[in-house]
Amino acid sequence: MARTRSTKPSTAAAAEDSGSSKSKSTITLVPHTGEPPKVFILPSKATPEARIVTLPNPRSSQPSRYLVCPETGIYEFAKVAAPKNEPRSWLIEAAPASNAAKVDTQVTMGSDLFVATAMDPLFLVLPALADAKASKGSDEPKRLFLSSEDHLDKLPQESSHLSEILRWDTTRQLIESRMGAVCDTVEAGDERMFRLNEKKLLEVILQKAKRMSDGGLPPSMEDKFVKKVLEAPLMHRVVRAADGQVTSSADSGTSTPKPDSATSQSTASTAETDASSVSQTSTAATSVAGEQAEESIVSALEASPEIVKQQRLKTAFGFICASYVTPGLADNLQRSLTGASGLVDFSLLNDYLASLEKLRSETLAVRAQDYSRKRNLDEEEDEARMEKKRKLEEEKKKKASESRAVRELKKVNTSGMKKLSHFFQKK
Amino acid sequence: MLEARLEQASILKKVVDAIKDLVQDCNFDCNDSGIALQAMDNSHVALVSMMLKAEGFSPYRCDRNIALGVNLTSLTKVLRAAQGDDILTIKAEDAPDVMNLLFESSGEDRISEYDLKLMDIDQEHLGIPETEYAATITMPSAEFRRICTDLAAMSESVGIEASKDGVKFSCNGDIGNGSVTLRSHTSIEKPENNVDIELTEPVSLTFSLKYLVNFCKAAALSTQVKICLSSEVPLLVEYNLSGSSYLRFYLAPKIGDDE
Repeated sequence: MARTRSTKPSTAAAAEDSGSSKSKSTITLVPHTGEPPKVFILPSKATPEARIVTLPNPRSSQPSRYLVCPETGIYEFAKVAAPKNEPRSWLIEAAPASNAAKVDTQVTMGSDLFVATAMDPLFLVLPALADAKASKGSDEPKRLFLSSEDHLDKLPQESSHLSEILRWDTTRQLIESRMGAVCDTVEAGDERMFRLNEKKLLEVILQKAKRMSDGGLPPSMEDKFVKKVLEAPLMHRVVRAADGQVTSSADSGTSTPKPDSATSQSTASTAETDASSVSQTSTAATSVAGEQAEESIVSALEASPEIVKQQRLKTAFGFICASYVTPGLADNLQRSLTGASGLVDFSLLNDYLASLEKLRSETLAVRAQDYSRKRNLDEEEDEARMEKKRKLEEEKKKKASESRAVRELKKVNTSGMKKLSHFFQKK
Repeated sequence: MLEARLEQASILKKVVDAIKDLVQDCNFDCNDSGIALQAMDNSHVALVSMMLKAEGFSPYRCDRNIALGVNLTSLTKVLRAAQGDDILTIKAEDAPDVMNLLFESSGEDRISEYDLKLMDIDQEHLGIPETEYAATITMPSAEFRRICTDLAAMSESVGIEASKDGVKFSCNGDIGNGSVTLRSHTSIEKPENNVDIELTEPVSLTFSLKYLVNFCKAAALSTQVKICLSSEVPLLVEYNLSGSSYLRFYLAPKIGDDE
């Protein structure tokens, strides 16, 4: 916006302003031109030869920026943005020593921070290997053994610097070696031919997912995709305790995971352990008073560490697929991962999720019933009241329009008298 | 479009007075032959049937069949504004919302006009067959009224027994019993006092006096009343209006053990 129409008038205004008020203010603001500088964090191990290049995004095929270093590999940029409602800026100071930097000391408009993180070059070439055209016909796509060049030619060439970076031998070797990890290869003469093997690809991605989940997912991801998914609805349970201590210890034995494993676990289960330990302590405290009914809020179902681990792995795998793999291929991979003959046995997790779903719907039904019953009652009462009122009014009106004699006649004993419709036929 | 001019407003006044204690709301069915009315009381044991023939009006005009749904209490209120010898003109549109009543004093020096809101009344219409009655008693309407009111003081119901000796009205109440017997009587000087009994076979029936007393409110309409009886059929009490117009009441007999 700063570069468009608003720039010129502001320049003029600034010039005018500085002309008229030179005596008052010693500082004149120079209208900045050009895009505000962006802040990047580049890996220190990247060599000075590293370049920011445009390559097709592996998922969307849209041109995106990557940092390619001939020595250390390819990096993608992760944008770290401040929330919209909390505007922030960077204060950039010109480094006095480096005269190469052409950046003045300034405050930037945007607060975005771009962090270069290493990525597997495999993903960049994956769209070429799993060519959509080849998988169009049958469900088992026919793929040909092709040289790496032929494969890479299939990638969108538009505004792509792929051919340039392939001139670096190390980069080419890196890409080819990564291709080798997921492809069946054939040596034809002095050339290696590649063909995508989905099983190999699955294993590679699964390996990545395992690594990702073992180190623990980022807290936001853990919260949203693991904790929340596995969370069971709370149940209000009344425990009648003969001996508080005994019950509480039994409770902790059954409902809480082993403390040892809990410490090494994620936030999800530790939180649950915390909750249950809190209820445990409260039980212990009240049990001193003697025999009484204990009320505690208990999670109806709790995920075992194994289940949490499986869910985490699933989440990680899903994340990788969603970020780097084309939708069609991602579906295939997901299917072959979770399918009956899949690499990982998710049956424990699936069983748990099924029972959880059942429990949730039951709880929801109970709640809905509660609410609706109450409201219905109110509405019915209201309706009945209104009906009564209306009837009363109607009656009053009717009474007013009816003569005294008619009212009297209503009281006449008509027993033994047949209705006239008995004698006369209806027309 | 209905336009009916009645020389004497009192006729309609009396008709409405006679039936307003029996029915609340009723339809005045107007067609080219006149204005008819049929309505039952709330208990459906009594029926009132009125026919005001077109000849009774001067002039009478009714292009299309119109049903004027009227609350009789409201109509009474309007008719109260009419003097007995006023000329009454009833007017209504083809699909009327209101019924227009125009009262002209005989001297034509005062004209009152009223609009009465109409209502939709869903009424069942009964077909009343022509019946040969076993006994037909014609008697002064005032006499009939007096008998009914006298006996109503003693009992709720009256037994009417017609035989060749005459007609006997008898009742049996908590304080005692009583009866009135009438014989055929013909008076040359005062034909309105005639009592005429036509009998094909003896009849004995019991009726609710409260209803009969109600019917007798029509006594003002006619000096003579015709009472027709036949066993197992409703009693007919008929008051003749001018010409062949009539006001008829039907009452179901009391059949059974009580009384």
